[in-house]
Amino acid sequence: MAALIELNNLTKDYGTFRALSNVNLTISEGITGLLGPNGAGKSTLIKVLLGLVKTNDGTGHVLGFPLGQSSDQIRTQIGYMPEDDCYIHGLSGIESIQVAARLSRMPNTEALRRGHEILDFCGAGQERYRPVETYSTGMRQKLRFAMAIVHDPKLLILDEPTSGLDPEEREAMLNRIRILARDFHKSVILCTHILPDVQTVCDRVVILAAGSVQVSDTLEVLCRMPDPSVTVSVTGDYNAMHDRLLQRELKAVVVNPHQLRVNGEAGQLNSVLWSAASESGCVIRSLTPSKNSLEQIFLDAVREVHRADS
Amino acid sequence: MPIHNLGYREWNGKLESSSTRWTVVAEIGIRRAWQSTWLRRMMFFAWVPGVIMGFMIFLFEQAEKDDGSSREILGNLTSMMIAGRGSDPSLKDVMEKFISFTATPDERRHTFWSMLLLNLFRRSQPLILIPLVGLIAPPLISQDVRSRAFLLYFSRPLTKVQYILGKAATVIAFLAMVTVVPALSLYCVGVLLSPSIGVVLATWDLIFRIVFVSAVIVIPSTSLALMLSSLTTESRYASFGWFAIWIFGFLTYSIVVPFSSPGDSSFMQCVSLFHVFSDVAGYMLDPKLAVAGIETRFITLGIITAVSMATVYRRVSAPMQV
Repeated sequence: MAALIELNNLTKDYGTFRALSNVNLTISEGITGLLGPNGAGKSTLIKVLLGLVKTNDGTGHVLGFPLGQSSDQIRTQIGYMPEDDCYIHGLSGIESIQVAARLSRMPNTEALRRGHEILDFCGAGQERYRPVETYSTGMRQKLRFAMAIVHDPKLLILDEPTSGLDPEEREAMLNRIRILARDFHKSVILCTHILPDVQTVCDRVVILAAGSVQVSDTLEVLCRMPDPSVTVSVTGDYNAMHDRLLQRELKAVVVNPHQLRVNGEAGQLNSVLWSAASESGCVIRSLTPSKNSLEQIFLDAVREVHRADS
Repeated sequence: MPIHNLGYREWNGKLESSSTRWTVVAEIGIRRAWQSTWLRRMMFFAWVPGVIMGFMIFLFEQAEKDDGSSREILGNLTSMMIAGRGSDPSLKDVMEKFISFTATPDERRHTFWSMLLLNLFRRSQPLILIPLVGLIAPPLISQDVRSRAFLLYFSRPLTKVQYILGKAATVIAFLAMVTVVPALSLYCVGVLLSPSIGVVLATWDLIFRIVFVSAVIVIPSTSLALMLSSLTTESRYASFGWFAIWIFGFLTYSIVVPFSSPGDSSFMQCVSLFHVFSDVAGYMLDPKLAVAGIETRFITLGIITAVSMATVYRRVSAPMQV
């Protein structure tokens, strides 16, 4: 896959505070989750990508354009959805979209037509004619998303696109992101604190902490366990089953009263697990290859930084 | 879901030039400002002095045709317009020459039109300009700061200079409608009412004088108003600041100037913007009118513009640096 973003030794200081420290990062096409605790440097990184702030050191390319030199070309091809509740005062929803499209250099009439088309795609109804100040949180999220995609950008940077949405709207928003990536080959950087969203839609994950990149890899690689293992969900006496597995010289640990993790390949363990369950009077409800949870990966990355700092 | 919902579709149209993006910002500002009923009323009344002066041009041309009875009326009208400037000896000479009709028709026309335009720029239009800018400019940047619209603007191919230019164009558009446009319309009315188009040759300099005076009034006013708007997130504070500058300046001038020596060209003379604009308009439209230390006025206006614009640029850049 082609690299959309390449950053080399990027450093950004705000006075004495170092917001980004020697960031080396390559982001390829697809959906990338940008994670990090508060103050990790995510917003600064986004502003650097958009050319809104100048870096103190380092080089980079965004969509093939050199960073800091071709900000206009970069911004023409990026759709940015800010986290902040920002809007242009006094305009209706459709006018806001039209303005966003025109600022992205679309002709006036085409901007209005496209605005309606995108609002339809985002599931907005007649409320598009109301002033933006009267919108609910969910509607404002939709509007900001629509403003980000109205000019058909190659790269979307979405900052907390699902925060403040009800479960139905959240699912609809994630679905739209999936459609754009899958059917229209848009690349997306999804910046969020909602890890299940990342796990649902992202191909890759970048974790920033204390201004530097701690983790950057595909979700598949990150979630893979170091040794192959199987997670067994059981009902009944899990301790008895655990003992039976240890007697068979298998490496097994109790994850919780309903789950055991057993080292080994799923295919080879099947018969042993079933016999151990029948001997201990347990019922196996599911057998799945074990994966690292994203939450654990995130916490490990952040703790690693804290440990290094202390 | 609407029946015409086509889902997402790619867009491959032709993009417009990025150098005209400031017009989008200006268009938003003008459209929002025009929603105010007060502004529409003010714009209507701003043209009343121009219409009256147009009628005076008509009277002047009638007097030129009819040597007898109308001369007296014209003499009275001229005296009325010059009222308050009679202490200037050079002007007295012009007045006498004018009323006695010893000057040529072209000279008389040039003097009469200059005086009309001077009245427009010195008396009526500054009084309209102050509330007009006070109504339009304060929310222009302050509301964008409050509603955090900067990210929406600057995440697109729009530079900070283009943004400021768009905001300034909003104010300039309305100010032009009450300064340069009525003045040029008045000039055109004069040309149309005069006996031949040849009067343009005798009065062409007035066009440039009108444009220059308008620019000298409009640009510093716009810069100052935008600076006040950028300094706060509450537009009412910017409005307060704007009116305070004019009122306190006027009062301070009224108190200080009577005690200053004649011909004093110090910066204290520039404390009132109202008087600064009045002096500059007088200097430009009536070269015979002697204004002591006019260069001080121009320097003051230049400093106001430069400092205001630098402040606006800094304030507009600030939210991006956090």
